[in-house]
Amino acid sequence: MENKEVVLSVRDLNVKFSLRGRVLHAIRGVSLDLYKGESFAIVGESGSGKSVLTKTFMGLLDQNGWVDSGSILYNGEDLAQYKTEKQWLKIRGREVAMVLQDPMTSLNPLKTIGAQIGEALKLHQGLKGEEAQKRICEILTDVGITEPERRAKQYPHEFSGGMRQRAVIAIAIACNPKILICDEPTTALDVTIQAQILQLIKNLVRKYQLTTVYITHDLGVVANVADRIAVMYAGDIVEVGTCEEIYYSPRHPYTWALLSSLPQLGVKGEELFSIRGTPPNLFNEINGDAFAARNPQALNIDFVERPPYFDVSETHKVRSWLMDERAPKVEPPEALKRLTPEGGSLYE
Amino acid sequence: MTKYVLKRLLSAILTLVIVLTVVFVLVRQMPIEGYFDNYDKLDENIIQAKLDKMGLNDPMPVQLLHFFKNLLKGDLGTSARYSVDAPITGIIAQKAPVSALLGIISMILAMALGLPLGAAMARSKSKFWDKFGTAFIVFVNAVPAAVYYIYLQSYGAKALGVPMLFNRSEWQTWILPIFSMALGNIAYYAMWLRRYMVDELNKDYVKLARAKGVENKKITMRHVFRNAFVPMVQYIPTSLMYTICGSIYIESLYSVPGMGGLLVDVINRQDNPMVQAIVMIYSCIGIIGLLLGDLLMTAIDPRITFAKKEGAR
Repeated sequence: MENKEVVLSVRDLNVKFSLRGRVLHAIRGVSLDLYKGESFAIVGESGSGKSVLTKTFMGLLDQNGWVDSGSILYNGEDLAQYKTEKQWLKIRGREVAMVLQDPMTSLNPLKTIGAQIGEALKLHQGLKGEEAQKRICEILTDVGITEPERRAKQYPHEFSGGMRQRAVIAIAIACNPKILICDEPTTALDVTIQAQILQLIKNLVRKYQLTTVYITHDLGVVANVADRIAVMYAGDIVEVGTCEEIYYSPRHPYTWALLSSLPQLGVKGEELFSIRGTPPNLFNEINGDAFAARNPQALNIDFVERPPYFDVSETHKVRSWLMDERAPKVEPPEALKRLTPEGGSLYE
Repeated sequence: MTKYVLKRLLSAILTLVIVLTVVFVLVRQMPIEGYFDNYDKLDENIIQAKLDKMGLNDPMPVQLLHFFKNLLKGDLGTSARYSVDAPITGIIAQKAPVSALLGIISMILAMALGLPLGAAMARSKSKFWDKFGTAFIVFVNAVPAAVYYIYLQSYGAKALGVPMLFNRSEWQTWILPIFSMALGNIAYYAMWLRRYMVDELNKDYVKLARAKGVENKKITMRHVFRNAFVPMVQYIPTSLMYTICGSIYIESLYSVPGMGGLLVDVINRQDNPMVQAIVMIYSCIGIIGLLLGDLLMTAIDPRITFAKKEGAR
């Protein structure tokens, strides 16, 4: 790849929540770099910490959560040190904007769509009155809403689900951010609309030169949009690599299991693959590899010591003892071979 | 919209007729002794003559028909005992303004104090204002109103150095009755607004507004408050009723020459035409309050309309 500029750099981030007197360790030492203009996807099951991770970029953690240690470098400032609302207001919207999961509830039902976009325009671009109206119509056209003048005067309940998600995206665009976080942008939508919305985001990202972070558990969505993928498990990134690397030569047993669970890989007539067991309880201290307990091929050391990152290539990093030179050779599941275009070997 | 209002008004009139009929029949079940100051000493003929004059010897349906006939003509009749033969409209026209003024000021005061208190409680969940407000609400709801009305009157008058009784020309004497009337509603507004605002604060649009970069303070004011106020609108008619109920007691406590004191007075003296007239006025206020509550709701929530669904618009 051409030389890349890092826009956001997370180092050893630990996030904790206090819940009924107990401490939950939601993010356990995550490091990642976000490159300018790329499309980065974070995948993982529910509760793996993907949403929490991105919320720390905007200071949107719930009140009982806090960044325990680590740093989030953005524009030479450490966002992890931000404490006051005033500091965060410089980041929220202006630098990082967010598209939430459920468009049915993420718009204020009592304000017109135009007013809600206008609020962001006024805050971040200082546009008012007629100028703002003009820009609102432009943005609505950008997100594929026809008759923008009329639509801007309507209320959210007069919009369909897909239209509302377009309006939510319009609000994000109106902030004029550098980074766009899409938190499961298509999960709540009709399948027929999903592809349209993804295409829309892709087009807008190109037009406005945004860096995007997708949070999703839908590997189909990821394959469509992502340049790079991070796989999260129990508050940690276990594998990160380019889209091709994660799909065609995954190295972590959890990534294998996740990909094997794709229904498309199942053989007709056979039971679909599912990962046995449940994710670890994050209230407890986790020793070793968090996935070991659910991994039938786990090594002894997996239960004792947490694996470091091993570099597979310049872009591909894996947190698994299997990559150690002393580790026995464990073959990835057969089913994954069906993912490769040629159906050939996973590793060349 | 017009059709809806007309429909509501029609049902309101029906409600009014029922209320009036019930009250009419009830007050006539009272013993006739109550109609005279010195019943024991009066001659039977005089008693009968007087009952005839008041129309109390006619069969009940006839009396009722007579009453509604006059009502349609806009004639509330004359007072039988309170101020003999004086037209009721005249008496009420004299008394109503004081009550209305006290009621309106106390309603405004209740909103002016109750709504900010509720909002402050929602914003500072489980911090000072929330705890203070909760203590206040529990106190107002748990202690019988009559008890704190009396304490407020005696200690309040001493503390503020104002007379205990109401005097229209001295504004200082307005403070305690107005505040007493507002107290219950302050707690009521604060309690419900806090509840609805806490609900709203957890909604996704608040998260989106924060992600958009809107200040928390502005989110509370612009987004959350208005959404929480939609269900609150229903409570305005109820709080109007509370004010009326409170005023009946408070006006006699402070000797306010108003409608509330008047109602107690005329019930005690069995002045039937007066009782009917006052009950009718209060019912009208209640019914109109409910209707206004519903109309106000459509004004602030675009999702609520009275128009029939006409498919896709």
